Amino acid sequence: MKNISLYEDKDTFLHHLHPNTKLLYIIVANLVPVLIGTHWVTTCFIILSFLFLLCGKVAQKSLPMLGFSFMILLTVIIIQGIFREGNVTPLYSFWGITFYREGLTFAVFVTLNVINILLSFAILVLTTKPSDMVEAFVQLGLSPKIGYVVSSVFQIIPHMSEKMATITDAQRSRGMETEGSLLIRLKAFVPLIAPVVMNSLIDTKERAIALEVRGFDLSVRKTFLHAQKRSKLDKMGQTLLFLVLILGILWRIIVC
Amino acid sequence: MAEIQVEHLKYKYPLTNKPALYDISFRISAGEFIGIVGENGAGKSTLCQALTGIVPHFHKGAYGGKILIDDLEVKKSSIGVICQKVGLVFQNPFNQVTGAKLTVYEEVSFGLENMGIPREEMHKRIDSALKLLGIYEYRKRNPFDLSGGQMQRMAIASIIAMQPEVIILDEPTSQLDPQGSEEVFQAVQQLTKVGITIIMVEHKIEKIAQYCDRVILLKDGKLVDFAAPQVIFSRSDLAEQGIVAPVYTRLCQALERKNIETGYYPVTLQEAQAVLQPRREN
Amino acid sequence: MSKRSMWSFKLNTAALVLIPAAVGINYIGKMFASILKLPLWLDSIGTILAACLAGPIAGAICGAVNNIIYGFTLDPVSFIYAFASVGIGIVAGVLAYKGMFTSIPRVIVSGIIIACVSTLISTPINISLYGGQTGNIWGDGLFTICMAKGLPMWLASTLDELVVDLPDKIAAVFIAYGIYKSLPKKLTILYKNDNQVENFD
Repeated sequence: MKNISLYEDKDTFLHHLHPNTKLLYIIVANLVPVLIGTHWVTTCFIILSFLFLLCGKVAQKSLPMLGFSFMILLTVIIIQGIFREGNVTPLYSFWGITFYREGLTFAVFVTLNVINILLSFAILVLTTKPSDMVEAFVQLGLSPKIGYVVSSVFQIIPHMSEKMATITDAQRSRGMETEGSLLIRLKAFVPLIAPVVMNSLIDTKERAIALEVRGFDLSVRKTFLHAQKRSKLDKMGQTLLFLVLILGILWRIIVC
Repeated sequence: MAEIQVEHLKYKYPLTNKPALYDISFRISAGEFIGIVGENGAGKSTLCQALTGIVPHFHKGAYGGKILIDDLEVKKSSIGVICQKVGLVFQNPFNQVTGAKLTVYEEVSFGLENMGIPREEMHKRIDSALKLLGIYEYRKRNPFDLSGGQMQRMAIASIIAMQPEVIILDEPTSQLDPQGSEEVFQAVQQLTKVGITIIMVEHKIEKIAQYCDRVILLKDGKLVDFAAPQVIFSRSDLAEQGIVAPVYTRLCQALERKNIETGYYPVTLQEAQAVLQPRREN
Repeated sequence: MSKRSMWSFKLNTAALVLIPAAVGINYIGKMFASILKLPLWLDSIGTILAACLAGPIAGAICGAVNNIIYGFTLDPVSFIYAFASVGIGIVAGVLAYKGMFTSIPRVIVSGIIIACVSTLISTPINISLYGGQTGNIWGDGLFTICMAKGLPMWLASTLDELVVDLPDKIAAVFIAYGIYKSLPKKLTILYKNDNQVENFD
């Protein structure tokens, strides 16, 4: 079965870290730059995150993730560079279009922030098994039922996209996708998709019964099949991250 | 071991006027293998769900009478509590997969995690359930990558690992191909050796005749008869009840050969053989 | 029905199982729109449907889970937009409870209200994250025109989001309404938490 999660099973120290440590890193990497308030800190965290991704042997996989935001960041640079309120200092000018320093500086900030968010999340997403992550959240106090919901979505989406792919292939082989007008394409697709949607809803009844007879609604404290270990490295990492966070807060208090 | 007592059970689904079950009473003792037969809409599945508390707790609706599993009253207990005594497996193997677990092994752990079973005990129970059902070798597979028969055996293993005293199999093979059905019936045979009470709804009537100590015959939500398979399948009004007797019974009926000791027609191959053989020797 | 039942945090099992299916429907909608190259997202049909069937809390959870999953599988930025999805779920649930999913004119009004709420939540995120843009060609085109005409950025950004959200949410509510109407009543009552077992003697 196709796997939608971006997780890659590899044997590096990042893969063995407890999900909580990586979560804490996301918080620190995104909060400390805000606390200190210069984009140099953001840049430092971007470099740090990238180094981690290299260590985790997943740097290549993080590039497509950046790709999603690439287009929007490009338009941010263009639109803000030209039109941003408070644009006064012309920087470049060609074909009668002027880019301003203020707008471009702002666009650079936006870009740095988005890349920082993306890379810090990429560490967690690319090196943590979704089921481990859900279990970590449940152990942190997330309702096990919500945990179930999240895990099952990871399984349900591949099923649905498989069904969609079958339908699309069938339509493509009949030339529906390229030929017909929008109305014709709609008429061809809807009768095929409707049963997929309806069945997924009708199946919820039996699945709910199946869960109930496996004690889903029991209020006893549940146990976990897998033990999640907090290694020495986790303890060290978490202490260090807390320290950085506290320093950031102190900095904020002292400077303001 | 659990004794089941059903007393004047009545039930109506929400938004319906016709009762799905009407004034049903019977007793099942520990360790029996009980079959439930009847035409479509007779109330077989509803009765199964009533024994596990799905009726009325999940469906709601109108409920009368009572069911006791030992001293546990179904109406007053939650499904979570009942399911530790009475397990349920139903038709569609695909819909019984929780969808939250990545391997067969983890799938079987789902109920045990909910029950709060300690980890070591969990491993023991899962291993033995998987081995009993003959799917230990698939333990690392994704549940959805199994065949129908394997998936259904996984569903049974998931229930068996919870160590209920009664297991209810509601048409466990109706959505399987012949090979998958055979796998499941062999698994059911394994279960009989464990010694738990088994209640099975099944359209393959020869299987009911082969396994069951006693058979419940339902029609229109009412209990028509509850007796040994020989008694049930020797009834002259079977066609009216909407069921067909096992092929061996029909054969012996055509030949008018009853089992002299019991006075009923045979229901299994062995029994038919025993009844028919002496004449051949003559 | 009491007020408490709408906001009950205790969802029954059927309602919980509905949520993954609803997220799947969001996903199908999104794929559908991109395969047919529709100028819409259609990625909130399931959230609206879940809210309509099982109430605002179910809608909110569905919205949150939806974006968390996108965050893990496509684009981590969608974690931040979970707030908008949660808002859509809550509002759709309240509208359904108030009987706004009963006729076509009401469904259109619901679509407009949901689009406004979605815009209200998304715009501040767009502003703080991207300086006001959405990444949608049509919306950003309007944004550029507004900025060139010297409109304040917050207004340009709001219009940018609204011009995409309005047709998208009206279409999504319509489709959700269509699915809701064609589901058997025996199924839809299972998601509600306010049914009791009656006595039958």
